[in-house]
Amino acid sequence: MSKNVLTVNGLDAAYGESKVLFDISIAVEERQVVGCVGRNGAGKSTLLKSIAGFLRPKAGTIESEGVDLIGRTAFAIANMGVKYVPQDKKVFSDLTVRENLELGSYASGDYNWDPVLVFFPKLKVLMDRKAGYLSGGERQMLMIGRAILGNPKLLLVDEPTEGLAPSIVSHLKDVFREISKTAALIIVEQNLPMICGISDKIYALNEGRMVAEITERDRITPEECEPYL
Amino acid sequence: MNVLRWWSGLLVAFGLLIVLRIFLPLPFNNEIVIFAVYVIGCNFLLGRVGFISFGQPAYLAIGAYGTAFYLYYVGTNPLVGVLMGILAGVVISTIVGPLFVRLRSDYFALVNLALAIIVFFMMQKVLADWTFGDDGLWFLTNMDPTPVIDITRPAGFYVFALFVAFLVWALYKYLDDSIFGACCLAAKINDDKVRFLGYNNFHIRLLAFVIANTTTALAGALYAVYLGFVSPEMTSAARAADPVVVTILGGVGSLYGPLVGAIAYTGMKDLISQAIGNWELVIGFLLVFIMLAGEKGIWGSLEPLLKRLVSRERPAAVAGPATTDAGVESR
Amino acid sequence: MIDPHLLLSGVIFGLSMGSIFFLMAIGLSLCFGLMRIISLDQLLYYAIGAYLTYTISSLVGNVWIGVLAGVAVSGLTAFLIERFVFLRIYARDITFSMITSFGILIGGIGVIKAIWGLVPRPVEVPIEAQINLLGTEIPIYRLVVIAIAIAVYWGIWLFLNKTIIGKAIRAGIEDVEHVEGLGINVYRLFTLTFVIAGAMSGLAGGLNAPLIMVDPNMGLEILAFVFMVVIIGGLGSIKGTFVSAFLVGQVVSIGSLIYAPLAQMAPFAIMLLILLIKPTGLYGSAMLKR
Repeated sequence: MSKNVLTVNGLDAAYGESKVLFDISIAVEERQVVGCVGRNGAGKSTLLKSIAGFLRPKAGTIESEGVDLIGRTAFAIANMGVKYVPQDKKVFSDLTVRENLELGSYASGDYNWDPVLVFFPKLKVLMDRKAGYLSGGERQMLMIGRAILGNPKLLLVDEPTEGLAPSIVSHLKDVFREISKTAALIIVEQNLPMICGISDKIYALNEGRMVAEITERDRITPEECEPYL
Repeated sequence: MNVLRWWSGLLVAFGLLIVLRIFLPLPFNNEIVIFAVYVIGCNFLLGRVGFISFGQPAYLAIGAYGTAFYLYYVGTNPLVGVLMGILAGVVISTIVGPLFVRLRSDYFALVNLALAIIVFFMMQKVLADWTFGDDGLWFLTNMDPTPVIDITRPAGFYVFALFVAFLVWALYKYLDDSIFGACCLAAKINDDKVRFLGYNNFHIRLLAFVIANTTTALAGALYAVYLGFVSPEMTSAARAADPVVVTILGGVGSLYGPLVGAIAYTGMKDLISQAIGNWELVIGFLLVFIMLAGEKGIWGSLEPLLKRLVSRERPAAVAGPATTDAGVESR
Repeated sequence: MIDPHLLLSGVIFGLSMGSIFFLMAIGLSLCFGLMRIISLDQLLYYAIGAYLTYTISSLVGNVWIGVLAGVAVSGLTAFLIERFVFLRIYARDITFSMITSFGILIGGIGVIKAIWGLVPRPVEVPIEAQINLLGTEIPIYRLVVIAIAIAVYWGIWLFLNKTIIGKAIRAGIEDVEHVEGLGINVYRLFTLTFVIAGAMSGLAGGLNAPLIMVDPNMGLEILAFVFMVVIIGGLGSIKGTFVSAFLVGQVVSIGSLIYAPLAQMAPFAIMLLILLIKPTGLYGSAMLKR
């Protein structure tokens, strides 16, 4: 039995009757950064949702360190250290930044916010602001900050840089590199320079199927990935 | 051939109803037919448009009082009375429809139930000078016998009601097969996509709302003529359950569900009321049970079996239009 | 012109009625906000609260103990129903919960009829005394009911804003999937919210019992008003529910002073008017969709 942080085998997923994913297999090793690219509607988000337990797959297996994830509730999967950061950048807008982080701590039992504030010093000054008033970049920081409480072993990040300014994108890139020292990441991303800069492996999806797997370090370049977008 | 096939289901269903007439007492049969007409509107709204309405008694009362006012104060012809009931249904649902169909389905349900209760208060108290409150309006002796079949007598009324019900079912079958029916279903599942196709959601829903509630008003008019009497009791909140229960019991969104549901419900009501007298207890938990057991209802569970039976006997027969067991959509 | 004494007692009457509406509607509203269900069975817990108040108070001779028993039993019933019924249907469409909870309500009324019979039961008013307010005699019990409702509002506000579980519930009202994604067992939040709602409905029934006759259909009788409160305030909004409960209470009370049938018609007219302007109620959010 592999001790991979994540092993997905032959995964099929569907929304109601319409099938979205066909026979997807991926493997993520400890502290590995895995990029996932593909066009809109290729099924990238569905893949992350299935892993995180928000969508029950039709077929296939999902395992983390030998433990079966299928059939577990989303909160149980999160508590096993597989945390999902959705694409919608929806923080709890009625709650302050502090309260948002408190919920992350409550869920994980980890009340040490120092790592979060080292990654995102800006959150310190925003602590008592309602999260609804944050900018897009600040929301993304808060969502990632909330998710890394409790030292997860795998982060599933859905299009983190979508619509963000270049300076924030490069900041996030550094943060992801830093996070990967302790955790594995699967990042769904359209920004090829950013994702190729940090990934150890790239999967490309198209119309619900796996069309490429790039593992050689020197082939992980925007030029190589371009055809899959 | 195609024409025959289109009508065959309807003819078989109503043929069976006529057969039922031989075995069961007349009042029971009359009750079933009116009840089925009452329920098909609710069934259509829930199954085709995705709106659950606990307010059907309101429209039932509007039809019944439309008929009753005419027969008590104005005329003597029960057929005209039924027409007045239908007219009242069209008018009221066209007035409230534009406001109601804009609402989300949750608000829609609550507002409709509130409407039923308000109509009850109106008939019981506010308009008591004309409706005589809880005493009700009695006009059985006001009605003139009608030519050919005398609908003021139960036996004649049964023939009339059966004929009306047949027409109603033909209408709903036609609607199900039409573009309009498809639009309703599409609007239920995904608002936006219908808009992209170039259809106006609001108009589709409004039309469905008016058709469904006018049918319900028609059932009210039939009740009024059949009983020769109306009272506010028919809109009481305790009875708001009836159409919803029968819809679920029969099978949501299926054409014949209301017929099967009405027979089962009326039958059970009679039997249980006689046996234990605690009707609510049984019907309430039955409703919960059906919902938890998969909400297909009696007809919804029978239909696939029947289809399989028919197609085994005649392998050449086409399976017919797609099954209509679109239950309450899951999220 | 209305006699000022009559007006004052009308206002107090309306406030006490609004208090009952609020206690009922807050549960419905919270359940909708967090779980996206319409829990019509709350009206059953209201009746259970009232009947327990009747039975216990006639046994021990103290209405307040009866009310406490009512709250406890309604909360317990709500807990059992949540475990055995709602837990299975959270994932379904909202109409599903509406029909199922309606079945529970109707079935529960049948159970009440089987236990207590059809005859309406009286409950004595625990505080008979009246207080003289600006020359008008006001029953103290009504003031106590108002005070309890305000205390409940304040308590719920504190719970939602100051405790971590309350914050999780508020976050869940915004987006329950994100709360679950953090690793919080949302089903426990659901159960807690449902039990709080049931207990509040039971409290409303117990407090209202001395003011009305306790009968099996009492839930159905108050149903229209509770709905109007929830709709006017906006489903899922606590503040909206509070405001609209007292608004509807006043409209019913003052309306009936002017012209009796207005008691029922006026709130309905206001509801239609508000929906015409804002289809999601005063404080309801249009984005509250999963």
